[in-house]
Amino acid sequence: MINEFAWSILFLPLLSAVGIFLFAKRSEVASAFLSVGSVFLCFVFAVVLFMAKGHGEAEVLTLPWLQVGNLVVDIGIRLDALSLLMLLVVTGVGSLIHVYSLGYMKGDPGFSRYFGSLSLFMFSMLGIVLSSNFLQMFIFWELVGVSSYLLIGFWFEREAAADAAKKAFLTNRVGDFGFILGILIIWTLFGSIDFGTLKTVASDSPGEAGYLLTLGGLLLFCGALGKSAQFPLHVWLPDAMEGPTPVSALIHAATMVAAGVYMLCRISFLLSGTALMVIGWIGAITAVIAALIAIQQSDIKRILAYSTLSQLGYMVMAVGVGSESAAMYHLVTHAFFKAMLFLGAGSVIHALHHEQDIWNMGGLKEKMPATYMTFFIGTLALCGLPPLSGFFSKDAILFAAWESNKPLFMIGAVVAALTAFYMFRLVVVAFFGPPKSEAAKTVHESPIVMTRPLWILCVPSVAAGFFGIDVFLEHYFGGGHGEVVAWYLKPIVAFTHAPVAAIFGLFAAILGMCMAWGFYNNATSDPVKKGLGLVSVALQRRFYFDELYQRTLIKGQDVVAGAVDWVDKWIVGGLCVRGASGGIDIVGRLLRLLQTGNLQTYCLWFGLGVVAVLYFTIN
Amino acid sequence: MSLLTIVILFPLIGAIATALTPRTETALIRAAAAFSTFVSMVLSVVVFVLFEPGTGSYQFVQKTGWVESLGISFHVGVDGINVGLVLMSAIVAFSASLLSKDIKTREKEFYTLLLIMASGVLGAFASLDLFFFYFFHELALVPTFIMIGVWGRGKERGYAAFNITMYLSLGALIALAGLIGVYIQVGIHSFDMIEMQQAVLSNPIRSDVQKTLFPLLLFGFGILVSLWPFHSWAPLGYGAAPTATSMLHAGALKKFGLYGLIRIALPLLPEGAKLWMEILAWLCLGNILYCGLVAMRQKDLNQLIGNSSVAHMGFIFLGIASLSLIGITGAVMVMVAHGLLAALSFGLSGTLYKETQDLTLSRYGGILKQTPFLGSAFLMAMMAACGLPGFANFVGEALVFFGAWSSYPWQTVIACWGGLVIGGVYMLRAIRSLLHGESGEATLSIKDAHGVGERTPYALLLASLLVFGFVPGILVNKIKPEVELILSRFNEDGPVTRLAVETTSNVKHLSAVAEKGTLQAQ
Repeated sequence: MINEFAWSILFLPLLSAVGIFLFAKRSEVASAFLSVGSVFLCFVFAVVLFMAKGHGEAEVLTLPWLQVGNLVVDIGIRLDALSLLMLLVVTGVGSLIHVYSLGYMKGDPGFSRYFGSLSLFMFSMLGIVLSSNFLQMFIFWELVGVSSYLLIGFWFEREAAADAAKKAFLTNRVGDFGFILGILIIWTLFGSIDFGTLKTVASDSPGEAGYLLTLGGLLLFCGALGKSAQFPLHVWLPDAMEGPTPVSALIHAATMVAAGVYMLCRISFLLSGTALMVIGWIGAITAVIAALIAIQQSDIKRILAYSTLSQLGYMVMAVGVGSESAAMYHLVTHAFFKAMLFLGAGSVIHALHHEQDIWNMGGLKEKMPATYMTFFIGTLALCGLPPLSGFFSKDAILFAAWESNKPLFMIGAVVAALTAFYMFRLVVVAFFGPPKSEAAKTVHESPIVMTRPLWILCVPSVAAGFFGIDVFLEHYFGGGHGEVVAWYLKPIVAFTHAPVAAIFGLFAAILGMCMAWGFYNNATSDPVKKGLGLVSVALQRRFYFDELYQRTLIKGQDVVAGAVDWVDKWIVGGLCVRGASGGIDIVGRLLRLLQTGNLQTYCLWFGLGVVAVLYFTIN
Repeated sequence: MSLLTIVILFPLIGAIATALTPRTETALIRAAAAFSTFVSMVLSVVVFVLFEPGTGSYQFVQKTGWVESLGISFHVGVDGINVGLVLMSAIVAFSASLLSKDIKTREKEFYTLLLIMASGVLGAFASLDLFFFYFFHELALVPTFIMIGVWGRGKERGYAAFNITMYLSLGALIALAGLIGVYIQVGIHSFDMIEMQQAVLSNPIRSDVQKTLFPLLLFGFGILVSLWPFHSWAPLGYGAAPTATSMLHAGALKKFGLYGLIRIALPLLPEGAKLWMEILAWLCLGNILYCGLVAMRQKDLNQLIGNSSVAHMGFIFLGIASLSLIGITGAVMVMVAHGLLAALSFGLSGTLYKETQDLTLSRYGGILKQTPFLGSAFLMAMMAACGLPGFANFVGEALVFFGAWSSYPWQTVIACWGGLVIGGVYMLRAIRSLLHGESGEATLSIKDAHGVGERTPYALLLASLLVFGFVPGILVNKIKPEVELILSRFNEDGPVTRLAVETTSNVKHLSAVAEKGTLQAQ
């Protein structure tokens, strides 16, 4: 029975997507029912599975799919602590966002298509979570990419949305190129792509592995670079905000972008020391770059997008310093509060009729109390204030960095301060002070179908630190302090156990908050902009990464393609093919001149021929 | 009479029927074409379903003696390699006959030629006699030239018809020279492929002769498949051909050369193959990389699809060049998948052309909004073309990568870049300018496909791609045993293994390898 539940979790969303696209495209009620119903059932099944198997050994269910020679690809379901936890997050947050979407997407002409794509996304994402082998993961990895493409480009008649979708897909494809090569190398080294087999084999051969393994690990990491939008492939995520806001919450904040981190945790036993070091630094660089850019953005969704990038950088850095449990812990808590922040932003945008500039908001605190309260709590959680969930997970990461790599710890602390700064800037400008536009004066709170999910998400955002997720993860990944403390002692233990990390983190957050309050309270324009001068421009232009890629990589490939096209048209197609046929044509025309039909001419040629023959024979 | 014979001959009977129908009865002619290809398709599905994988012998065989003195007989049958190709060709033929509404003049001759072509394609894939194998191919090829010349489009159509005729006739001639050479060298005075294969088992062709004959087959067949640098006929020809012709040629007939390589060249000339596959592995990058880059620059939809179709041939060549079980199985899988996909793409672009007489990408936009059905079909076709899982193409390409990896790691890296990134770039650009954004001037005059009749061909092709993509086992398990049989003729390993793939059976050995991380260069 439990096994049927597991299979249902994977295939229910697919059935829902197929049902909507084939049969229910005209009926909004039917498609909403199918999509929301399937994800709720998945959540219920996930809870049952978690209860039944959460603490047991890893269990794998398989369905043979493809087997050629020594390449065996099953469609499998791997149930272990890692996948079950992720399953709860994806289906739980997913359910709430589906419900929220009912309100947000109401009246959109593409309502059914929206829910169909959302179901397709759920199928793909759950496929990644449950994957039992690399190629299966790659398959769902690509499917997640395409469903994200469909949803970013949901309003495809808008040029910006269509461009953003294309950019997201192609950037991800560059990452996937590395991913598939990494899979090929791992397959070469170990002769298997099954996670279970690989884990056994890899743990049998501890010690320093060769450069091929390091290369393989880094290539696999390329997949995460794309999907989790890490530097230097981070450019697609902010643009992806062109999609509907619930999509940003679900896909580009809570689940899909976390897939890269999840994958790294899943395969961390294959990552060599060198690979881990690179991963840690890439994460830290992403975290700091994104946080810096966020402080000078004015679009509410883009600020949150850069914040997501920065937090993903944190998680990747945690993997790099060898603490997968901290990475997963932050992934889970971040999923809750970031989804809530995005949904809050969506509520604001919805109420303001698609106004996204924070400098046209202001004064929303009184007008939209529910949105304000939840958004504010989410901000505090993101800043890492005890005893909210973000504090514990961020503290776990900072502690892990402190233990193994001091420079990364310093970067982590700086990012914590920057995070608090840009989030408080957002809250103060958008919610406090007087209204800064007409729309902001006449705004109303969003309907209950949208605010209710906010309140529900508020619960884990506040209290997830007391759920024992850390102990659960440490049990799975090994390590950890081993001591189990009562829930009410947790905040205190965090300070006594690793005082430096906790105090630094907290101090940084408070510093950031105070600075933001000082700069932005009652401000009507950005005072920091003047102070920073050119730096501010660079930050607003996101350090010119887009321009750089446009002028070098994209332009470069286009120039090469242009040259090849020219060769193809003029050399291969022109000179060679037309030349060959033209040459034969000309030879034919020339030879025809000899065949005049005139007897005298023939005689002349004959005579010349005789002379030539005589000349050669006599010599 | 074997079911397979009926599959092959039914379109031919249809051709006779249309030839005898008065030319004013166009509806009847269309119905006859659709009916005969439909019957042929249904029967080929039956053949596919009833086929038992891994028996090691041909099924649905019919052998009727013809010219006894030369050893020629009408001999048809299917094994795992061609059963999928026959099915694919029959599906493509049926779809093509439904999508020929753009033909407004001399319908009778057009449909007669189309049906002859369909019979030729099916016969070429089903024949087990070298003579008929070649004969059926020519039977399909000649109508192609006529159709482009008479019903073609654009001002280049005269040149295109001339070009494709010269190129493909040249390829076919070179291949013929090779085939005659093989016939003489095997020396049993029989054109029967099975007998020839058995004969070389005990009495192989001399190694140096093999090495001379192989390039004749490789380049002869290669030209027919647009092997780089002999590819320029393809985009030109498909751009000028009527919809049904490009569907049937790019989808089905083009696979003849690849099928010939796998069916004839590899088993009869294994020594030659080993030598030349190293070269093929580099040439195929010309298809994947070079033609992929060319496709990126195209401004005309048909030129883009044509170039991308040439690029896809590169994956098949790479799979064949790997001489590995996984690689060749993948190659056959891509052959079937690409056949369905090419037919779908050319069918869709033909529908656009029918309405607007112009396929310049910049004149379109917003098709997805204007005509949701056609737009969605386009979107899925283009996603399948850039290797999205769920469609059959992904399975084939992934198998090719895994198969080629250990022999040709560098080529595989480039092929992955070509498949994932370059393929993605030109397909997404096409989606962006065709389907997304504001409606372009040309978009406004397109009508969506309505009703069962108009939607069937697209739905059928898409459904086949999805079925083979979701349940690849039904095809792969048929192909696999036959490839094993072919590879058993290669007594030593084919190409030099540069990266040895470990087997999990020996864990101790594995750990040693993992510690060293050895790159096993030979």
